[in-house]
Amino acid sequence: MIRNQRREWAVAFLLVLPFLLTYGVLFVWPTIQMVQLSFTDAPLIGTGEWVGFENYIEMFDDRRFWTAFNNTAYFVVLTVIPNTLIGLAIAMMVSRLKGWQQSLILAMFFLPYILPVSVVYRIWNWMFNVQFGILQYPISFFAGETINVFRTQWMFMPAVALVTIWWTCGFNILLFLAGLRSISPDIYEAAALDNANRWTIFRKITWPLIWPVTALVLTIQLILQLKIFDQVYLFVQGGRPDPSMVMVQYIYTMAFQRNQGGYAAAIAVALFVIVIVFSVLQFQLLRARGEK
Amino acid sequence: MSDIVLKEVSKSFGTVSILEKVSMHIKSGEFIVFLGPSGCGKSTLLRMIAGLEQVNDGEIYIGGERVDQLPPNERGVAMVFQNYALYPHMSVRDNMSFGLQNVGTPKDEITRRVDDAARMLEITQLLERKPAQLSGGQRQRVAIGRAIVRDPKAFLLDEPLSNLDAGLRVRTRLELAQLHNRIKATMIFVTHDQTEAMTLATRIVVMNNRGIEQIGTPMEVYSRPATRFVASFVGSPAMNFLPVSALSDAGGQANVAFGGQNSLQTAIPASGLGKGQYTLGIRAESARITYGEGGIEATVDVVERLGERTLVYARLSDGAPIVAEDAGLSGVNAGDVVRIALDGKAAILFDESGRAFHAAA
Repeated sequence: MIRNQRREWAVAFLLVLPFLLTYGVLFVWPTIQMVQLSFTDAPLIGTGEWVGFENYIEMFDDRRFWTAFNNTAYFVVLTVIPNTLIGLAIAMMVSRLKGWQQSLILAMFFLPYILPVSVVYRIWNWMFNVQFGILQYPISFFAGETINVFRTQWMFMPAVALVTIWWTCGFNILLFLAGLRSISPDIYEAAALDNANRWTIFRKITWPLIWPVTALVLTIQLILQLKIFDQVYLFVQGGRPDPSMVMVQYIYTMAFQRNQGGYAAAIAVALFVIVIVFSVLQFQLLRARGEK
Repeated sequence: MSDIVLKEVSKSFGTVSILEKVSMHIKSGEFIVFLGPSGCGKSTLLRMIAGLEQVNDGEIYIGGERVDQLPPNERGVAMVFQNYALYPHMSVRDNMSFGLQNVGTPKDEITRRVDDAARMLEITQLLERKPAQLSGGQRQRVAIGRAIVRDPKAFLLDEPLSNLDAGLRVRTRLELAQLHNRIKATMIFVTHDQTEAMTLATRIVVMNNRGIEQIGTPMEVYSRPATRFVASFVGSPAMNFLPVSALSDAGGQANVAFGGQNSLQTAIPASGLGKGQYTLGIRAESARITYGEGGIEATVDVVERLGERTLVYARLSDGAPIVAEDAGLSGVNAGDVVRIALDGKAAILFDESGRAFHAAA
């Protein structure tokens, strides 16, 4: 079929235009602005003087920035791999079920994912409540006393990580379940005839075949958890925010509480670069491993 | 010895019965073909022998050992799946080695067996490739190779040729027959293709409707079908079936009246035939166009020229359809009125239940 190429291009462009406009106005332009802003001493609203790399130099000397960076990294370590592995484990168990049982169990695991963060915060804050929280029973059983988990520095991040995994695991389970379903049952039957036991089947069949999904889940998790803000912000309320500060929270504090727009922009650029570098690097590495 | 014995094996999925009391004895080294239409339970039966489906009732023995409660890996059988079920992330060598690795076979023994099988199947140059880099025929060989290296008591093949194109299917069929001659292993082959069954089998198990219709050599199944179903399922074109209007005893053998004024003297003993409605069965090669006297009159509908022979689709005076054969260079055309000579010695009678009555062997 002979087509009018110019006409096709025009139609295609017209159809893409609304997206391009929205993307440009709401993402590309603000990003450029943010980078510009990071080289000025601007307050939250209005413009500022050009200060070159001063914000970045200051950032590297800022103890609180490094605390936020370390806390974010710690949170990533606590959530990304555990969340992925738990998602895979639950998906493998759910995939053994059939029919309505599978739907029911899957729905139960997925349900937390649709909750807004404020509700998640409410639920877990109650469960950990020192006076009437249900989780204080096992805590006092093992520790001998009740513990205010969100006010205990070393417990804070692991507790928030636990809540986050409970909250977001359902989505990973869904992705893994789709991946598991794409593996032909014949392959498992062939493996059964090939004398493979369950552990061999997992190690030699399921794990390598599900690897592309695992790489995807790990990358999505990494990006998501590097941007941690809401949970920490909510759970830290009433306590001392500084020791448990994470990067996005620090950006927020600098911009909206300290009125230092330029400096906050510099930290935002740093986070942006970290997210891009780590996620691209990770995804490429994981994909390469999978192809090997 | 690795005979396979099935004793009254039954299978149902929920309330749906798939197989009912199936029994057979497969001798060591036989090439058995399960032949039947889709949904007759032939693949399920194979999977039950493999241990991939539970047996609801009955017993299965392989090499004298009862196996119906054993897991697949303890039955000593290897299976070739319809879509080959190769491990997509492993090389051909790893695919073939996997089963041996799992039982702790020494490395050099694995290498030797894989290399031997690869040489036999002419896939040595493919050993380092992944399944995705292979053609359908090559994957097929790898799947067979994976089975061979394990040196199983029996090979179970589930429609292994159905994903190949026509030319390759014929070639692979031939190679499979040669392979069986060489390794002399017990093979069970499932197919709905009667040509595959006829060309490969030592014995064919014709299955239909939850059970076995007939077990016999290809020529037995073809020329002495046990039931009307077997007669219609095996052979191309299908056997002609003509309603019988009257039966008489002529010298101890049945004389059949059919299709208006026609009659045929058969070699079927009349003594075994009772009352009731019968159907005359006769294959196209026993219904030949004749240019001389005799025969029955028919009007030609369609002529199929196959080269070495010609199939003539015609109608008798009462409208009953019949397929007859003529020479390759037949002059018959659609619309012609021809005469068809039926070979009474090759005729078969079927009673209402479909049971066949043959000429004395």
